[in-house]
Amino acid sequence: MENILIQRIYVWQLPVRLYHWVNAIAVVLLACTGYLIGHPFAIQSGTEAYDNYWFGTVRFIHFVSAFFFFFNFIGRIYWGFVGNKHSSWRNFIPTTKKQFKEMNEVLKVDILQAKIQPLESVGHNSLAGLTYFVSFLAFLFQCVTGFGMYAAMSTSLLPQMFSWIVPLMGGDFAVRQWHHIMMWFFIVFSMIHVYLVFYHDYVEGRGIISSMAGGWKFIEKDTRKK
Amino acid sequence: MNGSPLTLWEHAQSQGVSRRDFIRYCSWLAAAAGIEASSVGQVIHAMEKKPRLPVVWMHFQECTCCSESFIRSSHPVVSDIVLDKISLDYTETLMAASGFQAEKSLHDTMKKYKGEYLMCVEGSIPTGDDGVYCCIGGKSAIDIVREVAADAKAIIAWGNCATHGCVQAAKPNPTTATPVHKIISGKPIINVPGCPPIAEVMAGTIVHLLAFDRIPQLDGLGRPKAFYSRRIHDTCYRRPNYDAGLFVESFDDENARRGYCLYKMGCRGPVTYNACAIMKWNNGVSYPIQSGHGCIGCSEKDFWDNGPFYQHLASFPGFGIETTADDIGVAVGAATAVGIAAHAISTNIKKGKLINAEIASSEEKENTSKKGGA
Amino acid sequence: MSTRIVVDPITRIEGHLRIEAEIKDGKIVDAYSAGTMVRGIELILKGRDPRDAWAFTERVCGVCTTVHALASVRAVEDSLKIVVPPNAELIRNLMFAALYLQDHVVHFYHLHALDWVDVVSALKADPKKTSELAQSISNWPKSSPKYFADVQKRLTAFVESGQLGIFANGYWGHGAYKLPAEANLMGTAHYLEALEWQKEIVKIHTIFGGKNPHPNYLVGGVPCSVNIEEANSINAERLAYVGTLLDQAFEFVNQVYIPDLLAVASFYKDWGAIGGGLSNYLAYGDLPMNGYGDISKFKLPRGVILNRDLSKVHEVDGKNIDEIQEFVKHSWYEYAGGDEVAKHPWEGETKLKYTGPKPPYQHLNVEEKYSWLKTPRWKGHAMEVGPLSRMLVAYASGRQEVVEEINGVLKALDVPVAALFSTLGRTAARGVETKLVAVWAKEFYQQLLLNIKNGDTRMFVKDKWEPSSWPSEAKGVGLTEAPRGALAHWIVIKDQKIDNYQLVVPTTWNASPRDPSGQRSAFEAALIGTPIKNPDQPLEILRTIHSFDPCLACAVH
Ligand code: HEM
Ligand code: HEM
Ligand code: NFV
Ligand code: SF4
Ligand code: SF4
Ligand code: F3S
Ligand SMILES: [Mg+2]
Repeated sequence: MENILIQRIYVWQLPVRLYHWVNAIAVVLLACTGYLIGHPFAIQSGTEAYDNYWFGTVRFIHFVSAFFFFFNFIGRIYWGFVGNKHSSWRNFIPTTKKQFKEMNEVLKVDILQAKIQPLESVGHNSLAGLTYFVSFLAFLFQCVTGFGMYAAMSTSLLPQMFSWIVPLMGGDFAVRQWHHIMMWFFIVFSMIHVYLVFYHDYVEGRGIISSMAGGWKFIEKDTRKK
Repeated sequence: MNGSPLTLWEHAQSQGVSRRDFIRYCSWLAAAAGIEASSVGQVIHAMEKKPRLPVVWMHFQECTCCSESFIRSSHPVVSDIVLDKISLDYTETLMAASGFQAEKSLHDTMKKYKGEYLMCVEGSIPTGDDGVYCCIGGKSAIDIVREVAADAKAIIAWGNCATHGCVQAAKPNPTTATPVHKIISGKPIINVPGCPPIAEVMAGTIVHLLAFDRIPQLDGLGRPKAFYSRRIHDTCYRRPNYDAGLFVESFDDENARRGYCLYKMGCRGPVTYNACAIMKWNNGVSYPIQSGHGCIGCSEKDFWDNGPFYQHLASFPGFGIETTADDIGVAVGAATAVGIAAHAISTNIKKGKLINAEIASSEEKENTSKKGGA
Repeated sequence: MSTRIVVDPITRIEGHLRIEAEIKDGKIVDAYSAGTMVRGIELILKGRDPRDAWAFTERVCGVCTTVHALASVRAVEDSLKIVVPPNAELIRNLMFAALYLQDHVVHFYHLHALDWVDVVSALKADPKKTSELAQSISNWPKSSPKYFADVQKRLTAFVESGQLGIFANGYWGHGAYKLPAEANLMGTAHYLEALEWQKEIVKIHTIFGGKNPHPNYLVGGVPCSVNIEEANSINAERLAYVGTLLDQAFEFVNQVYIPDLLAVASFYKDWGAIGGGLSNYLAYGDLPMNGYGDISKFKLPRGVILNRDLSKVHEVDGKNIDEIQEFVKHSWYEYAGGDEVAKHPWEGETKLKYTGPKPPYQHLNVEEKYSWLKTPRWKGHAMEVGPLSRMLVAYASGRQEVVEEINGVLKALDVPVAALFSTLGRTAARGVETKLVAVWAKEFYQQLLLNIKNGDTRMFVKDKWEPSSWPSEAKGVGLTEAPRGALAHWIVIKDQKIDNYQLVVPTTWNASPRDPSGQRSAFEAALIGTPIKNPDQPLEILRTIHSFDPCLACAVH
């Protein structure tokens, strides 16, 4: 049928999609509980400690989400080496001329809102890939500082592996301060990310949002032929 | 009175300790130090021969509150330490001799007990500008500390000054105040931070050296684990209120009178390692939190620059006094939201037509294909 | 020909003090006092939250811990027009009193006594006679012959060990020591006893401020709350603890310190004519009984005495820019306007500029700049500050309690009023003051109990706590009396931050170098005329200098 110009391509394998949503939920939980840890709200006085545990629960959720977040992240890194080409680690670090050219084009689409040829990438476009890479560094930072702080309240091995960060950064206060500041990176990242996903879906019409659910994207055939 | 120094055994005798008790003490000491029973005799012998530990206590850029804290010790009391346990040969705060005679006391000990004496340091050392910001007897602190450390057996750095530089090292550190461990290397250094350290922590550190004849176990920052391995927060009696989310909202409010947690008053307990909440101050009377003020983190490095003290987090440098990362974060977040909204609107203006046209053409195609198919 | 001697370090003080003195014919003819350590705390305070300043300034000194915190919170409260609740004022008074009791006793026994008491001579004393002596001057229960025999035994063992520790190389046997062996033994015994007692009285700081040294203060009140029905607050148990400590302090001061002071002084009456120095005395006064705003109800009055004229007390105003000023002519600082100008602390500048000899050095260049202390003046006059100034201002102001105590001491020692203007006078005034403070402290305590009983438990005012409630510019001064004398902090607040912060401290007044007109400050003036038996053993210099109780960390900051 010559008038069918769109091809259905399986882009996001199940582990990537699973990773994405576990990660998204964990980050939202971590940011919300983290914010509360920094700014517990005032509840009424006149009650006794043994009647309440809400703040402990908030912290508990933070720590449980942290473990999910951490191992999920490790899983994604692993998948970056064994998964399909769209999930490969290569997509995150621009090295080829082509990638840089594409970044330039994406900038034109996103910022100048120019209408150009459809993008070549099927998976992440190279600018998105780079932002995810930066966000991975932020994940790493947040895990190191988080577990570094956690080391003081835990005897298990994993947090202890990060205890070195505390003296390196000049003490628990500094670690906490940076960990807290970093929360804002995640909030701003999420806002922009979600918006851009919707935006690209809107302007490109490749079904990019649903691709993170079902794995399939819908790519123009002529783009594929080139 | 010129005879050779009294040995520990002679000293014990003069204190009315029996030979039997002395031997028992030595055996216990040997056991504690992990020495085999067959060598206990050697330990007894060593203890009999041993003069009191010579100690020189140097004063540099300090407020002398570490000395003041030290004399508040209750177990052991400081007169027992100074008369029976150590020989405090130099300390500007208490020694009888001044000037030339004071310097002589120092040098006598350095010569006579070369490699044997314990050096205590109170205060930081200004290293810049030839050391002119702290001179004693015409010599700079930096020269003195190097000279005295050279033949010391070990060094104790008292207080936040000697371990981290303390208040004078706070920004902009106008006198290049520097802690001991950044100047001296190749000697065991025991860091005993706190502004000041708790009296019994100071006495306890010295007693540990004497009773077990070795340096207490230290953590990565050179602090005795016995006193600095736990956060105030993990040992604080207000902790149940923290977990319950019950906080003082303002000084002397109803919650303060009930002893709720001081977290929102800027308490640094969660980021501070010290023994205050366990040992408490002045022989167990209280500690800052128990008396209604948050911990200011006085045993931590650079705690002075982590202010303002009454805020949970520090202010953002370069902004107003109360501007925190959150204010900046909210501003950036709001700017992002505005940017997104603007972008969305302009997208619709610029691309709306194009997309609508595409939609129309696709509908048309769909219709034709439907027709064709029918 | 005169000879120049150097005493550095001066020990049994706080901090790093150097004295250079010219000696001629067995007497000091000129003297130079230098502070040789600086930290730059005024510079460090710039740009910080004014509510934090108390903690920074408290670390100026751990010996007179709390007074800088007090001066600081008062300066901030003054600039923001905060009036603290009466209970907070009373608790501040109680902490003030606890500091005086501890610091003055420690000064007498541990910093000053060895200038008068020959520890080695105590070995020769007869414990029985010592006991008789002790019982003749007080009924302190510990004065049995066995008690003194035990102390002597302990001391003998110590000396025979050959390791003399803090007593090594003292001036033992110096001709200027005059006490009989028994008095020496008594003094030594009480040296040890005072060392144990002093750690008790500071527990008042621990109860209200959480620790000592360096208890916590708060702008707008005190951080502790009262709730007599609550285990987590200041309750009946905590208050009873304070009461007991005050009773014990009262006993110790009246049964040990004051009798010892009088006993020792009676052997050194000649020192009532030595070490007078300046003839001007300044006190800011303190211990408000009706709020910090009502000077007339201060237990310790404010004022200046000029030329030892006790018939007139001049008024003092910390805010008048023509009254209190600092010079840097002989100090290692730089003023924008040059070395001759004086600056009121609100306009004060702190710019370190060392011009002295490169260490190691033998002598300072006293013709030029020679100290890290600035030189404060009141209306151009050099002033002495300290217990003596406070007692003289109270005496001249006709404060009955003070007049009676001072007259009592003069009578007991059989010396004229003029003997107050001396080394001995300073040391005696400190004792008199301690005795009065021990009484007043009980008054503050009773008043606090009464307020709580009547339902007033307020400790803190909240309305000016948030920086958003502050004006964009504000200025204030906090005046207090530190154990060593008149202390004040000046603050300039701009946009909620500290724009300028200046401290003028008791030992700055007393130990500073000369001013541009060559006027000496108190230390230098007091040393002139002091007899020196043996220039190699400058015991007499220590006596006069110690009578001021120098604190150099304070003085320079
Ligand atoms: C996106 C990831 C994360 C965000 C946005 C986040 C955010 C925050 C925030 C805002 C705080 C409060 C800091 C304060 O003001 O005191 C906090 C505290 C904390 N976070 Fe995270 N966090 C994240 C990940 C993690 C991870 C992976 C760990 C690892 C264990 C962790 C452990 C902690 C700990 C231990 C605390 C201190 C809690 C306490 O002592 O009560 N966080 N976090
Ligand atoms: C409603 C919420 C979200 C939607 C619809 C969404 C959707 C998507 C989509 C469609 C992609 C693939 C984009 C591409 O092709 O380049 C993606 C990737 C990604 N998203 Fe989200 N996202 C959401 C929330 C989040 C959140 C909260 C985070 C965490 C900060 C996040 C982190 C990521 C990351 C790290 C990737 C790269 C995935 C990989 O390659 O492993 N997302 N998201
Ligand atoms: N000079 C002085 Fe201080 C006192 N008293 C205080 O202001 O000693 Ni450290
Ligand atoms: S650590 Fe604190 S208490 Fe000790 S000397 Fe330094 S400033 Fe004073
Ligand atoms: S008062 Fe401070 S140390 Fe105690 S539980 Fe609360 S935050 Fe932790
Ligand atoms: S301020 Fe210091 S005294 Fe202890 S409770 Fe905090 S470490
Ligand atoms: Mg000053």
